[in-house]
Amino acid sequence: MAVTLSHSLPVQTLPRTMQVGGVTVPVDLVTTGWPDPQMRLEDYDPEADLMTINMGPQHPSTHGVLRVKLWLDGETVVKAVPYVGYLHRGVEKLCEKLTYVQLTPIVDKNDYVSPMMNEMAINMAIENALGIEPPRRAQYMRSILAEIQRIGSHLISVGTWGLDMGGAIGGGATIFMFCMRERELLLDLFEELTGCRFHYNTHTVGGQRHDLPVGWDVKAKQVLARIVERSYEYEQFLVENPICRARARGVAVLDPLLAMECGASGPILRGSGVDFDLRRDAPYAAYGEIEVRVPTRTEGDALARAMVRVDEIRESARIASALLDGVPEGPICALKPVKLPGAVKLMEGETAYAAVEGPRGELGTYLVAQTDRKVGQHPYRLKIRSPSLHALSLLPYLCPGHTLADVVVIIGSLDPIMGEVDR
Amino acid sequence: MPPLHEPIPPDVLEWCQAELGLETVPAEGPEVPRDRLLAFARALKDQHDFWFFLYCASTHYPEEGSAGEEGHKPDRTLVAYRVRRLPHAASGRPTQTFPFRVWVPTGESTPSLAEVWVGADWQEREQFDLVGTVFAGHPDPRRLMMPEDWPGHPLRRDYAIETGHFPWR
Amino acid sequence: MIVLFDSPWLHGALLGLVVSVSLLTVTAAGLLYERKFAGRLQNRPGPTEVGPWGLLQPVADGLKLFQKEQIVPAAAQRFLFLLAPLLVVVAALAGAAVIPWSAELMVADLHMGVLWALAMASLMPLPVWIAGWSSNNKYALLGAMRTVAQGISYEVPLLLTALVPIILTGSFRMGDIVAAQADLRWFALWPPGPGAVAFVLFLLTALAESNRIPFDIPEAESELVAGVTVEYTGMNFGMFYLAEYVHSLVASAIAAALFLGGWDMGPLGSGLHWMLLKTLLLWAVIFWIRWTLLRFRSDQLMELCWRWLVPLGLGLVLFTATWKVFA
Repeated sequence: MAVTLSHSLPVQTLPRTMQVGGVTVPVDLVTTGWPDPQMRLEDYDPEADLMTINMGPQHPSTHGVLRVKLWLDGETVVKAVPYVGYLHRGVEKLCEKLTYVQLTPIVDKNDYVSPMMNEMAINMAIENALGIEPPRRAQYMRSILAEIQRIGSHLISVGTWGLDMGGAIGGGATIFMFCMRERELLLDLFEELTGCRFHYNTHTVGGQRHDLPVGWDVKAKQVLARIVERSYEYEQFLVENPICRARARGVAVLDPLLAMECGASGPILRGSGVDFDLRRDAPYAAYGEIEVRVPTRTEGDALARAMVRVDEIRESARIASALLDGVPEGPICALKPVKLPGAVKLMEGETAYAAVEGPRGELGTYLVAQTDRKVGQHPYRLKIRSPSLHALSLLPYLCPGHTLADVVVIIGSLDPIMGEVDR
Repeated sequence: MPPLHEPIPPDVLEWCQAELGLETVPAEGPEVPRDRLLAFARALKDQHDFWFFLYCASTHYPEEGSAGEEGHKPDRTLVAYRVRRLPHAASGRPTQTFPFRVWVPTGESTPSLAEVWVGADWQEREQFDLVGTVFAGHPDPRRLMMPEDWPGHPLRRDYAIETGHFPWR
Repeated sequence: MIVLFDSPWLHGALLGLVVSVSLLTVTAAGLLYERKFAGRLQNRPGPTEVGPWGLLQPVADGLKLFQKEQIVPAAAQRFLFLLAPLLVVVAALAGAAVIPWSAELMVADLHMGVLWALAMASLMPLPVWIAGWSSNNKYALLGAMRTVAQGISYEVPLLLTALVPIILTGSFRMGDIVAAQADLRWFALWPPGPGAVAFVLFLLTALAESNRIPFDIPEAESELVAGVTVEYTGMNFGMFYLAEYVHSLVASAIAAALFLGGWDMGPLGSGLHWMLLKTLLLWAVIFWIRWTLLRFRSDQLMELCWRWLVPLGLGLVLFTATWKVFA
């Protein structure tokens, strides 16, 4: 399948770069003195008559139940303080009472836009702790499913970003519906494979639960080709739209050093010109056997982050189609099909960490196994390293100086999923 | 079967042994004394390019044995950090992570790393909120997930799911 | 002109009632049309469940709005809060008085007809500001402030572009303006140049005046939730909604009269149906724009107005006047 990365925006072909810690970053984005999130309002302007406004947790464009407290001077944001936790379900505590096999369906609900990634991250951590490796066919299936899921997630992200700029009754809803239309095809694929459209529970310790149905690969390739074709439509709708450019260009330019320190990865980091992708730089599953091209942008603004996502849609479609060609035959699970929930046991007090490149960045799972033999089938402590939480902690740095209308664009470009932020 | 750990990068391993005076460094990370944590973290970032903050995870271990006996371990938390360095373009070094850990007895505090890595800010707030580890010198020591007036720290081992003291509201 | 009664009061009251009721009916039908239209645009069928093909959807919407409790926030200014929705509808409907539906059908053919319509359009920010201020809500207040800024700014280019047909005709009377465009000599086409530009600008500024996307900053549900209407419930909210549609319908009708020859269609005859057709077409264009474009930011909106539309409007007026004198 011929895929071209977009060049509709004038890309700085040779931005002036500098080396920080061995990483090449665009010089123009590196700023000295980031805004202080703990800024005292008295330091701003004692004469200014500030208006405090509370955005969320019930607000149409905070992508869930995010609450942001904003201090406005006119319409300009002086200080922004995000409050999270309105969707805190105590997943990490809950996981301490579940067996390892039961963890998968629970973590599905964390990042509810890309459940495949959650399943993959947690099962990779358990496998690392057990010291087993899934068979090659399962590895391929994991990569394919992850790429298809990434497309679905980016479609939601781009669509809701349009919604943030265009409103739920207006042009934004149109781009959102277009994206939903394509995502529907992907969900149909998942439904055929796993029987579920959303919370799949298809990854398991040591491999996969469901083998690829006959003819699934042909269907998947057709869908992927169609999405690549349609992705140019989104680009026209969003990026070549003068209003969108006026709204998003130069908004929330992110210093790559700040993004790195904050732990924000994925499209946010790549939109700021840092060429880093776990799929290529620390390959897992089947990514070591295929070329992964990493789209980056050097503008660092909200538009650049959205463009990276649109480019990644095409790149993921290419990777998934290429992997579909080479799926090896063989078993799909390294362990015998697990019948009893408590069959997998870890007793060493071992820790393990596994990370996958989720649609929002590095999605990791840190696992501490039990020291007690009796309860060896439960984890002692489970920490989910959610990329959305790190991305959201950038908000106090990005908002000051922009207007109230820009705040929703910034939140949309960071693409937080509150289920994952709060867990 | 042995667990599959990402190995600690050799140059950091050597530096770590020299710095902390350790003979072996376990794969899950060296245990750093609390008073040297801040300097250790700063050196990691400045000398070893670990710019990327991954996570900070506290684990609570309840008291073992009784006071004065042999093998007594007080009520404590283990704070596990992990940082990443991105691939080095010039030398071809791949991306690597480095874990390190700190023991914090309950009632005492550990220095906050928020001034080294910005990302540690929210992570430490979350760990304080859920596990109750106190980070000294944190710029914004509020709860992150739970309501501000929530009693207790839910991820502690004595805060069980089934017991009645779970404050339903 | 149809004269129903000798008394202008009785005549105005009856004809005004007829026109108002028809306008509201058309608006209700327009709501359904827009939802169907947006549905087709977005690969979905739109409303289908209420009545055959969803035809009774506006009735259901209206009934639902009437059933809802009218909540007045405790901290609101009760009198002003309840007054504002009425004033909004009145301001929107009053502009319809001078629309020349056909050579015979006109509620009032004022000698300052265009000015009346524009004055009524400019009145809109006042009740909206009342609503925003009396709600005692910060989002409503921000939305109201944006409305006032936007309304006052966009009046200027609106008036300037409306001046083009007035200069060409030499009269403020709607009937005269339409009559001057007889035989397809529409001002949007002839004289070439200023009329066409003025038509596009008029439509743009009318969009801004009636708070439609891409200029619906006061409502801006993505950042201000619902702007001025955030505290309104039930039919009070419905009034704002209705007024917005009536306002855009009246704006399309005035644009059709000023620039597209009103009821006249040259060799194809003339009559009410042509005027309605042109109006509805322009209205559909407004829907089309609404469901395609994103929204501007308020500072960009002001910049567009004062840096581009106002100088362009002034230039147009100057050019048209010169044309009128020398050609």
